[in-house]
Amino acid sequence: MSWRAELLAVWAVVVRNALMASRNVFFFFELLFWPIVGVLSIGLMTRFLHLTPAQASFVLIGTIALSIVNVCQLEVAYAVLLDVWSKSLKHQFLAPIGIRHLTLGSWLVGMARGGVLFLLLAALGWWAFDFRVLAPGWLPVAVFLLGCFLNAWIVGVFVCALIALFGNRAEAFAWASVNLVLVLAGLYYPVSVLPEPVATVAAAIPLTYFLDAYRAHFGFAPEFHAPIATGLALSVVYAALAHWCFFAAIQRARRTGLLLKMSE
Amino acid sequence: MLAIDAHDVTKTFKSGWLRPTRTAALRGVSLTVPRGTIVGLLGPNGAGKTTLLSILATLLTPDSGSVRVLGHDVVRDAARLRRRLNMASGRPSFLWSLRVGEIVAFYGRLYGLSGSKLRRRVDELIELCELGANRRTPYSELSTGLKQRVALAKSLVNDPELLFLDEPTLGLDPDVSVRVRRHIADLRSQRGITIVLTTHYMREADELCDEIAFIKAGRILARGTPAELKRRIRLGDVIALRLDPPAVPWLGEAPGVLRCRAVDGWVECTVDGAEKRLPDLLRALSAEGIAVRNVRVREPELEDVFVELAR
Repeated sequence: MSWRAELLAVWAVVVRNALMASRNVFFFFELLFWPIVGVLSIGLMTRFLHLTPAQASFVLIGTIALSIVNVCQLEVAYAVLLDVWSKSLKHQFLAPIGIRHLTLGSWLVGMARGGVLFLLLAALGWWAFDFRVLAPGWLPVAVFLLGCFLNAWIVGVFVCALIALFGNRAEAFAWASVNLVLVLAGLYYPVSVLPEPVATVAAAIPLTYFLDAYRAHFGFAPEFHAPIATGLALSVVYAALAHWCFFAAIQRARRTGLLLKMSE
Repeated sequence: MLAIDAHDVTKTFKSGWLRPTRTAALRGVSLTVPRGTIVGLLGPNGAGKTTLLSILATLLTPDSGSVRVLGHDVVRDAARLRRRLNMASGRPSFLWSLRVGEIVAFYGRLYGLSGSKLRRRVDELIELCELGANRRTPYSELSTGLKQRVALAKSLVNDPELLFLDEPTLGLDPDVSVRVRRHIADLRSQRGITIVLTTHYMREADELCDEIAFIKAGRILARGTPAELKRRIRLGDVIALRLDPPAVPWLGEAPGVLRCRAVDGWVECTVDGAEKRLPDLLRALSAEGIAVRNVRVREPELEDVFVELAR
């Protein structure tokens, strides 16, 4: 496949997901309503508990990360979910499209949505709680967002694999999975407060390192050595694993006939 | 040159976790399809038609056997093969909130079209499938007939060398069915596309197909041109008589009569040769004082072949 054909296939998915998102009433709730409710309620709770500005920033960074990862992860899962819902999966896999095109195209739309959401929440945090999430500068912000997006891609692709493996039954996992990962990644607390076996699991999640690195810019001592490099390395490993799982699940669906069943 | 060359293809589906059951969908199917022909797969529900079509279209992998489509192995070389074929089904489904033009454009991009080439192709297909008035209509708001036309437009977006049509006129109004059949015939005659279709409508198969393969319980029972099949099954000719009185008990026992049945006030006798048997029958009826009000003679139809083979 030529580079031009590769890019066109990715662009086809970008256009499709963007069009679907623009006509989806839930888009508003996903992009604005729940994230704003999240930042406002957590921000107000920090006021009620009389947290210091540093503590409040620790918690609000976690809240913003949750929203970004959630929105972007859902968009990646839409690579398969949109076709499962409309029963058009077989047309997609009859075309010369690889899972890399599907996931990359959806991820690009997810990053765009996540980026817009980040700016909105940054403005809200600054206006409502005097929390300046952009204060560390564009490079740390870019690395933090990259970490969030990479984690979203990994979770989203794993969800796609589960749907291709178990069909519609795995759909609920698309909505719940990210929360499980985020609870373990030290969203509202340092990983050091977790009991030992859970802390080990947390240390295996890439987002843990990106949160740790970004919070260091707000005066918190890093819990891990070289967190960005570790987070990126772990992300590459999980991304490869997720991609392989999705590929294997599609191959299995072609063998078992699930691909056709999900299209009827 | 063969478009499809399949030998001893088997496929078994497993279902259930605790007590798994196995259903053999294809039991050693062999099929060859020359390029530029229209071949119909006929058979009762659950015969394995769609399973075979899905294997040929790379949507399903066979358990065993060899399948080469347009010279490519359907398992090992599926990615390259997909560029050269396409499929439309009688129960099409696409993303519900995309508009007709957007759906065709989406698939066009997947097949490598962009810019003015893509726009031209979308326009051409919208016109060919008479979708101009619905170009901006969301898919969910289309009627069954229009949805099928979208499926046909999508299936032609890559100008395929091989087209699979799964029940292409299912649920369509008769006038729309006629137009879709005309499109299908034109695709072969004007563009030289090889077409494999499944259908339940015998008239459609008779009208469109150069060859027909009858599938039942995962096996091909018979294969040939519609005329060959009618001859090979030896169904005989049908003499339909309108008699007074209508019931003649001895007619089924008359020489050369294979069977008789009453259909809507007519007595239909299947005979081994209408030319030879009709004068004898008329003489015998006249001798018995039975009035013959009307007579019709016809060759067996594909539907008779289907009923015979599906029995």
